[in-house]
Amino acid sequence: MGKTLFEKIWESHVVVEKQNEPSLIYVDRHLIHEVTSPQAFDGLRLNNRKVRRPDLTIATMDHNVPTNDRSLPILDQTSAIQIKTLEKNCKDFGIKLFDINSPNQGIVHVIGPQLGITLPGTTIVCGDSHTSTHGAFGALALGIGTSDVEHVLASQTLWLEKPTPFEIRVEGKRKDPHAVTAKDIVLSIIKHIGTGGGTGTVIEYRGEGITDLTMEQRMTICNMSIEAGARAGLIAPDDKTYDYLRGREYTPKNYESLVDSWRDNLKTDSDAKFEKQFVLHIDDIAPQVSWGTNPGMTCDVTDSIPSPDEFSKGDSNQKKGAEKALAYMDLKPGTAIEDIKIDRVFIGSCTNARLEDLIEASKVIKGQKISPHVRAMVVPGSQMVKKQAEEMGLDKIFIDANFEWREAGCSMCLGMNPDILSPGERCASTSNRNFEGRQGTGGRTHLVSPVMAAAAAIKGHFVDVRKMDLS
Amino acid sequence: MKGNIIKYAQDNIDTDVIIPGQYLKVHDYAELATHAMEGLDPDFHSKVKEGDFILSGKNFGCGSSREHAPIALSHSGIKAVLALSFARIFYRNAVDGAFLLPIEIDQDAYNAISEGDEIDIDIASNEIKNITKNQTYKMKPFSEIIGKIISAGGLFKYKPDQD
Repeated sequence: MGKTLFEKIWESHVVVEKQNEPSLIYVDRHLIHEVTSPQAFDGLRLNNRKVRRPDLTIATMDHNVPTNDRSLPILDQTSAIQIKTLEKNCKDFGIKLFDINSPNQGIVHVIGPQLGITLPGTTIVCGDSHTSTHGAFGALALGIGTSDVEHVLASQTLWLEKPTPFEIRVEGKRKDPHAVTAKDIVLSIIKHIGTGGGTGTVIEYRGEGITDLTMEQRMTICNMSIEAGARAGLIAPDDKTYDYLRGREYTPKNYESLVDSWRDNLKTDSDAKFEKQFVLHIDDIAPQVSWGTNPGMTCDVTDSIPSPDEFSKGDSNQKKGAEKALAYMDLKPGTAIEDIKIDRVFIGSCTNARLEDLIEASKVIKGQKISPHVRAMVVPGSQMVKKQAEEMGLDKIFIDANFEWREAGCSMCLGMNPDILSPGERCASTSNRNFEGRQGTGGRTHLVSPVMAAAAAIKGHFVDVRKMDLS
Repeated sequence: MKGNIIKYAQDNIDTDVIIPGQYLKVHDYAELATHAMEGLDPDFHSKVKEGDFILSGKNFGCGSSREHAPIALSHSGIKAVLALSFARIFYRNAVDGAFLLPIEIDQDAYNAISEGDEIDIDIASNEIKNITKNQTYKMKPFSEIIGKIISAGGLFKYKPDQD
């Protein structure tokens, strides 16, 4: 019987495998950041261990870095300490660091692909759940906790129970690909399969709806695999993948011969078997807006807020969850999504802060002003994205519309730096999680695409971006 | 292992409510523990006692890979979380550091056990006794290796060579 792409990558990385036990897997790339690594380095020191492969370990600072003027000292002392600690750890253990002043600094899942560090067929780990992003390149990319970070630093391996392969086919063509985006595809998938729908699996996204996407759009899809509970998500590499990585700063010198072998090997065999399957038809899907407190609580922009009974379909915990979510979000069943007013707009995060995201959002706002009661910010995913956007004049479009134009980092996706919502504030956000308090205590998050966030900023409430001229 | 139940009758308790993002800069575990479950239940810190268990629904610990989540619960005194299912990274983190026992239970046990019930968990027999209600439920057995890592006291204390 044939094998899935996931199984092929898995088998080529197994160091030790025994029946009914987790396997020991070799790690090709280990990405680290300031928040989930300090205790791991403490553990190494305590046990007098070295980093086994500093040359395969790359660090940056993204989670708690300020996104305003970087010539100023960091006011939050605990953040300053975490940043200094990462600098010291990288120096002591000989690890390459893209620090706060580096032109390569940025969100770890944005810079990996951008620098050619992320490669097809590799295993990539990082102490961050959105590591699944790198799966867009046909890599097996896993989020891990701090104990496992220490384990990988010490041994360059990870023990793992083998996940099962899950095929998600995305069929058809979007009618308006500027207005209905990769974010809407992945939110639609999670809406259908639920936040636990992918638990214990590695998703392979396939079909015309996926191969049509650009690399940056594919990253948005794979990024949110974790929101469906999956261990990872991946997409078979093709010419778009190989073209994207060609000539980047850390792309290997023997790249073309690697591409030849990837072309032969990195695909799911036609007779391979997936343990689970789901098909999404995208011909008629609408822009999506989350209304609740997990990414599965999502509906079309043309819909109204569902009642807990409609949403739960008889499941009592789901019903209770929906009631609690509506109370937290201060929303009532039957309210049209387009009638929901917003206070804040956040265009950023490892889900949607790449150059294409900013280009698409800028088309919506060009020549317009944001609603006077809205505060909006753009936080580019990396300093390189910021520079490229500025070279195209996108910063001026955003600033002229009264958006704040910031330095790169995770920012208001998770509320670790000063960019947070105040209690009760409602935000149209291009990030990945709408959990209670995620963007600041009491803050209310609605997950949307960059163009939907931009449209909401202009109108002051959600609006179906398909009605706007994006040509 | 005996303890009392703190029940959150809901699914999808995420790591952002178990330990909100602003506390991921806190390195002192005792301080971290004072913010455990703050995003869901501000009274948690005042009511939790050493040895208590949490009971919850499906997909417990979904979201971020922050190991701070099982650490904050563990340092609050929580010895086990009983849930209908777990998000995988949380489960893994809980086991790796031997912070707490992630125990999968079935719907009947979930329905039967109430807030405050005194429970006795017997891993050897995969049984959960409800002392308050005089009932017994089955728990899903740990896989062999998870059991070994837990008995060893975490990933770094487990030595595969001893097999």
